Amino acid sequence: MARIQLENVKKAFGKVQALDGITIDVKDKEFFVLFGPAGAGKTTILNCIAGIMMPEEGLVKFDGEIMNLTDSAHRNVAMVFENYALYPQMTVYDNMASALRSKLYKTDEAEIRERIQWAAKIMKMEKLLERLPSQLSNGQKQRVAMGRALVRNPSVFLMDEPLAHLDAKLRNSMRTELKEMQANLGSTCIYVTHDFMEAMALGDRIAIIKEGRIVQIGTGDEIYYMPCNEFTAQLMGDPEINLIDAEISGTEEAYTAKFSLNGEMVACSLPQDSGVYAKIKELGLKRVDIGIRPQHIKYSFEPQDGYFKTTVYSYESIGNKSVIVTDCGDKNHSQLRMIAPNGLRVAIDNDIYIHLEMDHAIFFGSETKDYIVRYDEANYIALAAAQEDE
Amino acid sequence: MKNKKQRSLNVLMNILLILYAVFALFPLIWMLLISFKSDTEVFTTTFLFHPTLANYQEVLLRSDYVRYIRDSVIVAGGAVLVSIIVGVPAAYALARYNFPRKEELAFQILSYKFAPEILVVLPLFMIYQKLGLYDSYFGLIWVYQLISLPLLIWVVRGYFEDISVEIEYAAQVDGYSWYQIFFKMLVPLIKPGLVSSALLAFIFAWNCFTFPLILSSNKVYPVTVAIMKYLGTDSAHYGQLAVASTVSALPAMIFALCIQKHLVRGLSFGAVKG
Repeated sequence: MARIQLENVKKAFGKVQALDGITIDVKDKEFFVLFGPAGAGKTTILNCIAGIMMPEEGLVKFDGEIMNLTDSAHRNVAMVFENYALYPQMTVYDNMASALRSKLYKTDEAEIRERIQWAAKIMKMEKLLERLPSQLSNGQKQRVAMGRALVRNPSVFLMDEPLAHLDAKLRNSMRTELKEMQANLGSTCIYVTHDFMEAMALGDRIAIIKEGRIVQIGTGDEIYYMPCNEFTAQLMGDPEINLIDAEISGTEEAYTAKFSLNGEMVACSLPQDSGVYAKIKELGLKRVDIGIRPQHIKYSFEPQDGYFKTTVYSYESIGNKSVIVTDCGDKNHSQLRMIAPNGLRVAIDNDIYIHLEMDHAIFFGSETKDYIVRYDEANYIALAAAQEDE
Repeated sequence: MKNKKQRSLNVLMNILLILYAVFALFPLIWMLLISFKSDTEVFTTTFLFHPTLANYQEVLLRSDYVRYIRDSVIVAGGAVLVSIIVGVPAAYALARYNFPRKEELAFQILSYKFAPEILVVLPLFMIYQKLGLYDSYFGLIWVYQLISLPLLIWVVRGYFEDISVEIEYAAQVDGYSWYQIFFKMLVPLIKPGLVSSALLAFIFAWNCFTFPLILSSNKVYPVTVAIMKYLGTDSAHYGQLAVASTVSALPAMIFALCIQKHLVRGLSFGAVKG
């Protein structure tokens, strides 16, 4: 097990800068998640750690030792590839045994058998061991690929979307399993995903990657509650956060946010909060983007005080809850998403009255799109600090 | 009703196939028949004759035929061996690495097969004379690369391209060195293509006539050229000629029959990309 550090790693493919100065420090025994949209460079980071690719600049360190010139065979890493990369000519058993049979990591056959049985049991594939990869479904192949990594005892597990092709039920149970397994094995694990739920559930810390750069590193809650910019805020959370382009007016006793809704300017008073008010005063904020999570918009089908009239754009059930999207006719925030219980009778184009719970708002700069302040900030900072210590 | 229709269709199909088989195999059968005929009966067109083994005795026991066969085996086998040793790494490089003018190089290799042999053989003759390669095993093996190498490289390259590069990465991570990966992981995967293209290359090299005719004479005498010896200046011993051809066709036929199932699949698999 090892501490993995990357220092200012750069890697280009032709003219495309895939990694542009990546610096991360993964602690020993940490479950570290790389999270970002497709093409952000997540897989390239794993490849650089595994030694499959050579960074053009920067250092790769295992336990403080520079590994740039060590080939991947000698780095003792176990990797799960996104496209499985199983050896087609070998049975599942031989696939899983391959690392333990190599000259470098030679293990005696009895122990190999034991470890494979153990991994097969966890991955629920004891019956598949004699099959060839061509006889497996994609989900099964993915489990074999996981199993092939698990039988080893590496410095670090590198997992590239290892659950992406499993069916939903298995994915959920694997997620739990994986987290527990990692804790038991006491292994360092770097995990790539583009699924927000996986990132939140698994990661001790999460690094948000965008276009080859690290946008933010922190615990799941830290990033969720204090995203460093709008990109991160939109990435973390499903349905996506609502961003409202608003003007701030008023005095330091009471500020009001004004924004347009269906062509009208509406005003919403900002509740008292020492942090928020201080920041507004300090920076002299006039225009901001207000971020409100979907669960912090309340709705009603009757007109009420403090509720604004909009129309329903869509209503879709996503399992144990539903998402209502309303139409607000403004070019910057044309739609607002909110969470509602299932089984509502909502017709499209009906009127719906919404209320924004401003005391959960997150403020972003309207030009920079960067985080400025949020309600209850001190509380969340304390939470993040507590999580870091664990 | 439907069954009846299907059965009659089957019968018709089989009749057509038998007709085609007779058409395709007739020259071979005719050659086989001639090999058992005495010189006087060669031109009888009925199938009635007095079979004799005299021709076989004459060719196999009383001439240098075995030596010719041996020369052919050395030259064709050597050519295929060299092609495999050179071609497999070349195919790997063409499939995996990016380098300037890669496609042009691949096309250049393929283009060796474009020119008719007769077109290049005369300049080659002059060069071979000067270099002292004329009439040597090495010289023929070398020139046979024009025939066997492009075939092998293009088929095997397709196979390498079908292997996802992550498999090599996975093996690296599993602790294997490059050579171990190549022989343990990659060679088993390209084997069907390698075997079938090597076999085809062997048959082509075995059947080659123009190159050995011009580029060799007494020391190296492949069987294709040697057959001409049985065409005398004043008399043609068709019976002996037929024996010589029949025996020389045997290795190719035996090989092809043994692996015919793999031959078609092996050659088409790499070419069809999903």
